[in-house]
Amino acid sequence: MSDLNIEKTKINYNAVWILAKRELLSFWRNKSRVISSLMQGLLFLFVFGIGLSGLGSSTIIQGVSVDPRAFAASGIAAMIILFTGIFGGMSIFRDKMFGFMKELLVAPVSRRTLMLGRTVGVALQTMLQVLIIIGLSIAIGYFGYDLNLIWRVMLIIPVAFLASLGIVGIGLTISTRLRDMQSFGLIQTFIVMPMMWLSGALFPFPMQVTMFNPFTYSVDLFRLVLLGVSYFPFWLDLLITGGFGALLIVIGARSFNKMEISQ
Amino acid sequence: MAENNKIIDVRNLTKIYDEGNVLAVDDISFDIKKGEIFALLGPNGAGKTTTISILATLLSSTNGDAVVNNYDVNKDSDKVRKSIGIVFQEPSVDGEMKAWENLELHAILYGMPKKERQVKINEVLKLVDLDDRANTFVKNYSGGMKRRLEIARGLLHEPKVLFLDEPTLGLDPQTRRKIWDKIKELNKSNSKITILITTHYMDEADELADRICIMDHGKIIAMDTSENLKKKLSGDVIDIQLEEINERFKIPIIINEIKQISGVKNVSLGTAEGDSSMIPNIQFPKGMPNISPEMIQARIRETLSDPKKLIIAWKRMPMTTGMFLNAPLAMKKQIADMFDDKLLEEVPDTIKQEIIKIKKGEFEEEEAELESTISISCENGGKQLPLIIQKIGENGLKIKTVNMHQPTLEDVFLHYVGTTIRDETSNHTKDMKRMIQMRQLRK
Repeated sequence: MSDLNIEKTKINYNAVWILAKRELLSFWRNKSRVISSLMQGLLFLFVFGIGLSGLGSSTIIQGVSVDPRAFAASGIAAMIILFTGIFGGMSIFRDKMFGFMKELLVAPVSRRTLMLGRTVGVALQTMLQVLIIIGLSIAIGYFGYDLNLIWRVMLIIPVAFLASLGIVGIGLTISTRLRDMQSFGLIQTFIVMPMMWLSGALFPFPMQVTMFNPFTYSVDLFRLVLLGVSYFPFWLDLLITGGFGALLIVIGARSFNKMEISQ
Repeated sequence: MAENNKIIDVRNLTKIYDEGNVLAVDDISFDIKKGEIFALLGPNGAGKTTTISILATLLSSTNGDAVVNNYDVNKDSDKVRKSIGIVFQEPSVDGEMKAWENLELHAILYGMPKKERQVKINEVLKLVDLDDRANTFVKNYSGGMKRRLEIARGLLHEPKVLFLDEPTLGLDPQTRRKIWDKIKELNKSNSKITILITTHYMDEADELADRICIMDHGKIIAMDTSENLKKKLSGDVIDIQLEEINERFKIPIIINEIKQISGVKNVSLGTAEGDSSMIPNIQFPKGMPNISPEMIQARIRETLSDPKKLIIAWKRMPMTTGMFLNAPLAMKKQIADMFDDKLLEEVPDTIKQEIIKIKKGEFEEEEAELESTISISCENGGKQLPLIIQKIGENGLKIKTVNMHQPTLEDVFLHYVGTTIRDETSNHTKDMKRMIQMRQLRK
């Protein structure tokens, strides 16, 4: 119950680290998950890369012409965050099912510590996947070959981390409230898919629609870093991505605090 | 200081669940001395797990105080958490991690420094004979091994009290014996750890506990050593199992006749089956205002005849839920027939499930199996036995087996609670189904 007087604000960083490590470890050990997410990414890269370049014309962003394959590749890298982040945040649900959540909740650490550990773990895991996808796209030549890319990839690391916070927050919020398995399909249909298709990640989409989707700005930020061009100004992308992340983390922390142990 | 001798002190503890307005724990008080093994015994839904959850700071109490290791559970939950180790009713280890990693995570959460961690983890693994399996993934462990690992984890941070919530639920007899031995060993070793155990296995409480506290419907019904509890039922216990009969209505008549025999103190049906009405079986909690029993019975009859009133009773008085679940099958069938699908919508979940099962006829098998055992508590049992058998014969019923023995803890329980404890199978299967679904999804 939320009204227990565990020191709510104190954060035990050792505990945060071990919890984050647990997330990463389970990701690494679950080879099928790693491989399937890689395959998915490759498939997207292949289909949209070839498909879009087959259309012939190059994509124009704010008057600058961009290779459609690079356009799709940077969007797909951002999209990976959406998939991994939400379902990574759902790992709370798995822990609830298998009883491990009780062990965590009865430990003498604040809920904030537990929440932070989980968020950092999933965000790191998401970041790794993003790097893998970008690595693959570079390897098959979607971004061209340019020494500048090294800097861009370095810069994408903090950006990917920032962008994943909000998405992990969604996953956490949902999974602390979720009571059964049936709802997973609903989340796919009503949250993941609209956020993905209406963000213009894969091909240009009217801005009048995408501007209402907070995830658009993360995608835009990715494009800005990787391609150097974007639909929205840099400060707006950063503000909305950061603000969205902060908001969802606060909401997630709230519902995490309220979570009770069901018998 | 006298206070120092008590490691757990519970005063007037009450817990009402907001959801469904259920009174789970009703004004209970008890204390546990250092080094004691204390058992909370009771049927499912008696309030044992709720009590333990409050003591473990997992739930807040609605009223009353609880002190663990001199720290108040509501004010110093951090310190209470460090003083206790807990083994939950359902497994709570992470199968995707190795045993060692599970313990390491626990040690870090409890703030143990690195050097101490290494030494202690090895120590507790050795204690539960899992030191050779430290690097196995926990998902490959058997149920008993998981349980032992959880006990090891509960001990890792050197708690003053160990809470064990149904520690041997669903384990095979050898494993149960092994875990009992471990529990006794722990309690007898140098650290003299205090153990609070909840169980609905009578043999477990009898075997392990220094003191037993019987709970039902959120109240403490009896609390003493196993020996003393048994002494309260002086004389002999005669269990008579009847052959399958069609004239079940005769059983209450026989029971009444047996009650007339001199020396007979108490007659109860060993199973919930047989009696055509549950009204005479009701035991009113102590401390209830002085209302004449006739009046109460009249009220109950009125309620029983009207499904709408029943729904209100179930919703407002948690006791009535227990009464329904423990009622004889014939009665339950009668009640179930009053509810159509529309009315069923309003019925609280636990009862709804039971009614649906009854309507499907799931209990036929159980009925045949549990048929009519009469349990008689009686002075000089040997002398009165022929008379009792004669009475049964006169009513045209055939006896399958007769068993006379000194009172066991089970008889004590029967005496206090009125019916034997039933295993909660439904929840277990439900959990298994959920687990299987989960696995399929992750594939």
